Amino acid sequence: MDRKDEIYTVNLFRPKKGYMTEEVIIIFTALFGWGVMIFGFQFFVSLLHGSPRWGELLTRFRFFNLPFHFWFTAQFLPLWFVVLCFVFNVYIDRLTERFSRRRDRTYE
Amino acid sequence: MNNEPAQFWPLVIVAGVLTSFILVGLFNKSRSGSEYGFGGRYIGRIGGGAAIASNWMSAASFLGIAGLFYLKGYLALAYVIGWTGGYVLLLVLLAGQLRRFGKHTAPDFVGERYDSPAARLVAALISIAIAVIYCTAQFKGIGMIFAWLFSTDYTRGVIMGAAAVIAYLVFSGFLGVSRNQQMQYFVLIVSFIVPLMVLARKLGYFWVLPQFGYGVALEEISRNYGVNMADPFASSSFLEWAALCFTMMVGTAGLPHVLSRFYVVPNIRDARWSLVWGLFFIALIYWSAPAYAVFARLLEFHGNAVPDPATARSIADMVVIDTALKGGLPPWLVGILAAGAMSAAFFTVAGLLITGAASMSYDLYCRIIDQRASEERKMTVAKISVLLLAAVVLLCALNPPGLIVEITAVAFALAGNTIFPVFLLGIWWGRANRQGALAGMLTGTLVTFAAPLLGGVLPLVAKIFPLTSSALFGAPLVILVMVTVSLLTPPPSEEMRRFLAEEVHGYLD
Repeated sequence: MDRKDEIYTVNLFRPKKGYMTEEVIIIFTALFGWGVMIFGFQFFVSLLHGSPRWGELLTRFRFFNLPFHFWFTAQFLPLWFVVLCFVFNVYIDRLTERFSRRRDRTYE
Repeated sequence: MNNEPAQFWPLVIVAGVLTSFILVGLFNKSRSGSEYGFGGRYIGRIGGGAAIASNWMSAASFLGIAGLFYLKGYLALAYVIGWTGGYVLLLVLLAGQLRRFGKHTAPDFVGERYDSPAARLVAALISIAIAVIYCTAQFKGIGMIFAWLFSTDYTRGVIMGAAAVIAYLVFSGFLGVSRNQQMQYFVLIVSFIVPLMVLARKLGYFWVLPQFGYGVALEEISRNYGVNMADPFASSSFLEWAALCFTMMVGTAGLPHVLSRFYVVPNIRDARWSLVWGLFFIALIYWSAPAYAVFARLLEFHGNAVPDPATARSIADMVVIDTALKGGLPPWLVGILAAGAMSAAFFTVAGLLITGAASMSYDLYCRIIDQRASEERKMTVAKISVLLLAAVVLLCALNPPGLIVEITAVAFALAGNTIFPVFLLGIWWGRANRQGALAGMLTGTLVTFAAPLLGGVLPLVAKIFPLTSSALFGAPLVILVMVTVSLLTPPPSEEMRRFLAEEVHGYLD
């Protein structure tokens, strides 16, 4: 690969130094919080569900009148997504402002 | 239901609500002359969020989720999580970059990024297919409501519904009615939640927030009648649940009409923040939808009239309205609920048919048949395309192949297997080229329909790529195909790679 190719490389896993690197870190953090809370939790519930010993935990714990796992999936997760998007935006805003100022430019 | 006289008050209210949308659209147009309603060009973050939410709300959200929850319990939550979690993917991976790229429709983006008329054509065909499948599900909802309103059978209902949609499109196109999406969202949310509150109150549950009140009903059903609707994985395994959920998420992030939303708000920052509001507004409906299904089951047990599975499946998509009726809500309130469902389905269909027809005219006709078509000719083609698409959708909807959410899910699977990978790599991997995009989209289409096409011969295929949830293995496979084919063929032009590196990703360096 010659030097020109190197300059114009765009790769999510090999971000350019500066803005893009920090942006990608925020993105992967958000995706981690997204994936673990969805699939991690469901996997945990499925383990409990299959176990004769712990299975009854699923019906015993209640939260806001609902079985805990049900409340978590049906009501907490959508709320969690809103929070996740909110935090993501706050961080991206800060990052963009910092880099805009460095270039002596106003936002957008 | 067929022997009752036509539902007078609901009919009046549904007609009234739809007419009022046209009137408000007319009034707005003469006042601001803007395409985007209320505040003119700038609609603010909350308004933008309401527009995102009303653009999203369809018969699947309004009727379908409750219907599936009524039938399958916990499995329906895979849709709820998929359709909200998908917005996280969209915001985090695509929203900002896509806007900086500056192409409004999926075919435009694909054509420009991969510099290929062929890829553009395939993307256009896929977008149109997605619109047709999505509309089929909406037509089923519209047909069932019309059948109920006029006390007739489903076939007549869906034909009348199609006629009403066409009449609305012709009429609003003729008058130049603007869509007011903020008002639409307001009507949708009020018409969904107020009847639910009244229902909860009548049944004696905590009615101020029925989203929490229905928990007691859930427990009563489980204690008194031995049916645990909250049982996880009662009707699916963990893997099936996760596959469905993942498919809905990548589908959400790949639906052409959802991707196009990011151009309404004037800058990236507002686009990102209006998405947060939009997600919140969407979640409001999904927090409430299972309550309708739980009350439906409860009323059946109380009345000792539990239908057999086949009957249950046939009425599932009307369960929201049925429950309101059985719960003894006044006819006008049921009418408001039906009007909400009708507007959700109606405006989704209207939007999709118009963009589908525009795509047929600009991406197919002008680029293949007549490259020097006049503006007038393009308009004529677009108008004929609307009728053509509506006819195809009507044909599909006469014998609906499944529940509303199941039909919708196929559209999501197609979007997640084709458009999503092409956008994801197009934005985040400069090396992705036209051969890769073409191979990826074709693989994705094949994978989506692998179960009905090849499932008979190879049962394993139907297991790995089930029709409604093919993207868990499908989308990664398509990405793999795109990467492999791209690496084996020459890289995209230097100009495009520079644009990606400097404009889309390096605008602050």
